[in-house]
Amino acid sequence: MALLQISEPGQTTAPHQRNYAAGIDLGTTNSLVAINRSGQVETLPDSEGHHLLPSVVHYGETQILVGYPAQRLQAEDPLNTLSSVKRIMGRGIDDLKTLKNMLPYEFDGNTDSHVPRIITRQKSVSAIEVSAEILKVLAQRAEQTMGEKLSGVVITVPAYFDDAQRQATRDAARLADLKVYRLLSEPTAAAVAYGLDQQSDGIIAVYDLGGGTFDISILHLNKGVFEVLATGGNSSLGGDDMDHAIGEWIIEQAGIGKIDHFLLRHILIAARKAKEELTNSASTTIQLKYKELDLNLKLDRELFNALIKDLVKKTLMSCRRALRDAKIKTSEITNVVMVGGSTRVPLVLEQVGTFFDCEPLTELDPDRVVAIGAALQADVLAGNKPDQELLLLDVLPLSLCIETMGGLSEKIISRNSPIPVARAQEFTTFKDGQTAMAVHVVQGERELVSDCRSLAHFELRGIPPMTAGAARIKVTYQVDADGLMSVMAEELSSGVRADITIKPSYGLTDTEIESMLRDSMSNAKQDIDARMLAEQQVEARRVIEALDSALAKDGQELLLENELNQIKRARDSLQQSIHSANADALKRGIKKVESASEEFVARRMNASVKKVLSGKKIDEVDV
Amino acid sequence: MHIDIKQNYFELFELPVDFRLDQKSLHSAQQRLQSAFHPDRFVSGTEQEKRIAVQKAAWVNEAYETLKNPVKRARYMLHVGGLELNDEHETTSDPAFLMEQIEIREELDQCRNCQDPMRICDHITGKLDQRSQEYATKFMDLYQQGYLEQARQVSRKMQFVERTLEQIDEYQFDLEEDLI
Repeated sequence: MALLQISEPGQTTAPHQRNYAAGIDLGTTNSLVAINRSGQVETLPDSEGHHLLPSVVHYGETQILVGYPAQRLQAEDPLNTLSSVKRIMGRGIDDLKTLKNMLPYEFDGNTDSHVPRIITRQKSVSAIEVSAEILKVLAQRAEQTMGEKLSGVVITVPAYFDDAQRQATRDAARLADLKVYRLLSEPTAAAVAYGLDQQSDGIIAVYDLGGGTFDISILHLNKGVFEVLATGGNSSLGGDDMDHAIGEWIIEQAGIGKIDHFLLRHILIAARKAKEELTNSASTTIQLKYKELDLNLKLDRELFNALIKDLVKKTLMSCRRALRDAKIKTSEITNVVMVGGSTRVPLVLEQVGTFFDCEPLTELDPDRVVAIGAALQADVLAGNKPDQELLLLDVLPLSLCIETMGGLSEKIISRNSPIPVARAQEFTTFKDGQTAMAVHVVQGERELVSDCRSLAHFELRGIPPMTAGAARIKVTYQVDADGLMSVMAEELSSGVRADITIKPSYGLTDTEIESMLRDSMSNAKQDIDARMLAEQQVEARRVIEALDSALAKDGQELLLENELNQIKRARDSLQQSIHSANADALKRGIKKVESASEEFVARRMNASVKKVLSGKKIDEVDV
Repeated sequence: MHIDIKQNYFELFELPVDFRLDQKSLHSAQQRLQSAFHPDRFVSGTEQEKRIAVQKAAWVNEAYETLKNPVKRARYMLHVGGLELNDEHETTSDPAFLMEQIEIREELDQCRNCQDPMRICDHITGKLDQRSQEYATKFMDLYQQGYLEQARQVSRKMQFVERTLEQIDEYQFDLEEDLI
C-alpha cells in the first residue's frame, strides 16, 4: 500500500489517466493560477486576458465579486470591499491593532470565535472565507480552461508563515472544496519555476519585493532536495512605498499644502505610472490635473533612484541578516531569483546584483514565477511525472515552544529544523491523583511567552490517577510537511493514551468550519451529507485497493496466519458497507481496517528501508 | 504507533559509531530515506499511509539532525555507549573552564556599550570555535579509549560552548533588528 508509491511516486491506480493539478499563488495584492497545459506550464488568464487576479473581494447585498470588478468598487464602497486579507490570515483580534492602518474595515466585536470577522453589508466574514472566494474563482478558471475537474492543488505560502497562518490557508482551500496536495513556500516555488532543482547543488537567494511586502529567503539545493536555510524580510515594505516616495516628492515640488484623499489617490496613481515608465526609460513626465492644480513635472531615473535609495538599502540589510542566519557567505550564493513586480525597478536589480555579486535571474515574469513553480510541483505530486524525483524539503520557519513556569518559553523544536519533525517530552504529575494537565504551545524565538505567537492550548485528560511524580506522560509534538503541528500524549507506565482537547488560539474549530461549509452551500444539509459520504467512499475504496495490493505482494512473508485473517475480516466488512449511505459507518470501517493493518504497514516500511539504503534507485525498489 | 525502523541512528544511516562522521554519506543516506518516506510520496495514498509517512520522515529527520550536530552526536554516542544522560542534572566543576566561560560572558556584556559590537562578537565566536575543535578532538580520544565518563564531562563543555555561541547569535540578531 504505502510502498506502492515508492516505485511509482504519487501514481494513482489508473496510470494512464492524467490528473489535472494546478498551482495557486494566493498573494496579498494579487493571486494567480497556473497549470500544465499540454506540456507547457503557464499561468491562466481570465476571459479578458488578465493573468493577475487582484486579491480583492466585494460583498454586495447578495452578490460576491472577486478580482477586478471588486477592485473597481474599492473607492466608492471601501467597507464592503476587502483587500490584503492575507495579512490577517491566522491572526487574532489582538493583532488587528497593529494592522489597523492597512485594513480600514469594521471588525465584529461580538463573537466567540478567535478568528476576527469583518462586517460587510451581506454578512460578517473571516479572512479564511474571503480567501476561499479567491481560490474558488481561480479553481474555476482552471477547470473551465482545462474542461476537467482539478484533482488537487499546490498553494504557496510565505516561508515564514506560522502554524496558524498555514492552517488558515488550508481551511480556506477546504471551504473552496479543493484538495491541497501540499502547501509550498513561495521562494521554493520560484526556484522550481527556474528549474534550479535540475542543477545538482547550489545556494539560492530568492529576493521577493511585492507591492506591500518584502521577503528574502536563502535556499540550499542538493540533488533535487530543497531546504530553506533562512528567511527574512519586512511585512510593510514594497513597491507601494516607492510610489509614496515619489508622491511625497511631487507634493513637495508642487508646493501642495492641503491634501484630501482624492488628491492623494491621484498623486499616487501618477507616481506609480512614473515608476513603471522609469523601468525602461531614463526619464518621464508626470502630468496631473486636479481641480485648480495643473502639474507638469520631469522625473529622471537618477532622481528616482535617490528617492528610493533607502528603501532598497533596507531590503539589503534584511538580506545580510538572512545570510548570516543561514551561515552562508555572499560568495557561496550560486543563483539569485527575482520575484514580485517591484523587482523590475532597475535600481533594485542593480543593487541586488551587486550585493550578491551574481547576475539575478529575470527571464520569467516576476509576477508569475511563484504560480508556475507551484504548478510544476502540483504536476509531480499528481503523479503525472513518475520519472521525476522532485522532492521539496522544507524547514520549520519558527521555533515551537511550550510555556513553562513564570511565562517563559522552552524550545521543543528549533526553527529551521527540516520537516516533518517530531519531538517528545516527558512530564510528570505534581499532585496525587492528578488526571489532567494543560500545555500551552507557542511559536517564536523570544524568551517570554508573551513575545511569541500563541498556537494552541492543549488539555490532556484521562491520565490514570497515581501518586504525585509517578505518572510519566510523554507528549509528542509533530509537525507535518506543510508545517502544521499536532500533539499526542501517552502515559508511559500504563500505556494509556490521554485525550487531547485543542483550543487553537487563532484558528477555526471544526464546528466553525462545518457551519461555514453549510453557509456556502444552497441545500445545506443534503449537500454536506452527500459530500461527506462521497469523500468516505473514495477513501474506503482507496484503502481497500491499497491493502489488497500490499497483501498480494508480501502478506505471506510479513504476516502470521491469524494476523492475516484479522486484516481480511476488517477489509471484507468495509467492502460490504461501501454502498451503504452512511458516512459514519464507513468512517468506522476504515478505522478498523487501519488499526488491524497498522503493524503490517509499519513492517513493510521497515522492510523497505534496507532496500532504499542498499544503493538501488528508488524506482528499482521492489516492494 | 511505535516506530522502530532501527533503534540506533548510526545503524539507520549505515554508518560506524564514530565521532568522525562522513557528512557526505550521512547526507546522501538521509536524502535517499527522505525520498522514500516523505509525505509528498503519498499524496494519493490513504490517510493511514500519510500519517505513517509523516512519522517515519520525522524520525529520519530527527536521526539526521542528531548525527549532523557534533554536540548532539557526542551525547548520542554516549547514549549508545550505555550511559544514562540527564542534561538538567549534569554540571561541570572544572574551575579553569568555568573561569573562561565567565570571562567570555563579561566580554560579551561589555561589548553592548562599545563602538563596534559586531566585531567583538566575531572575535569571541572565533575563540569559541577553536575551543569546540579542541573539545571535539578530546572527546574522540576519550571515547575511543573507552573512558565514557570522562568523555561525558567533555561533552558537557561542548554543550556549554554551543549554548554561548547560540546566545551570541541571538544577541547579534537583536543588534541587526535595531538596524533594519
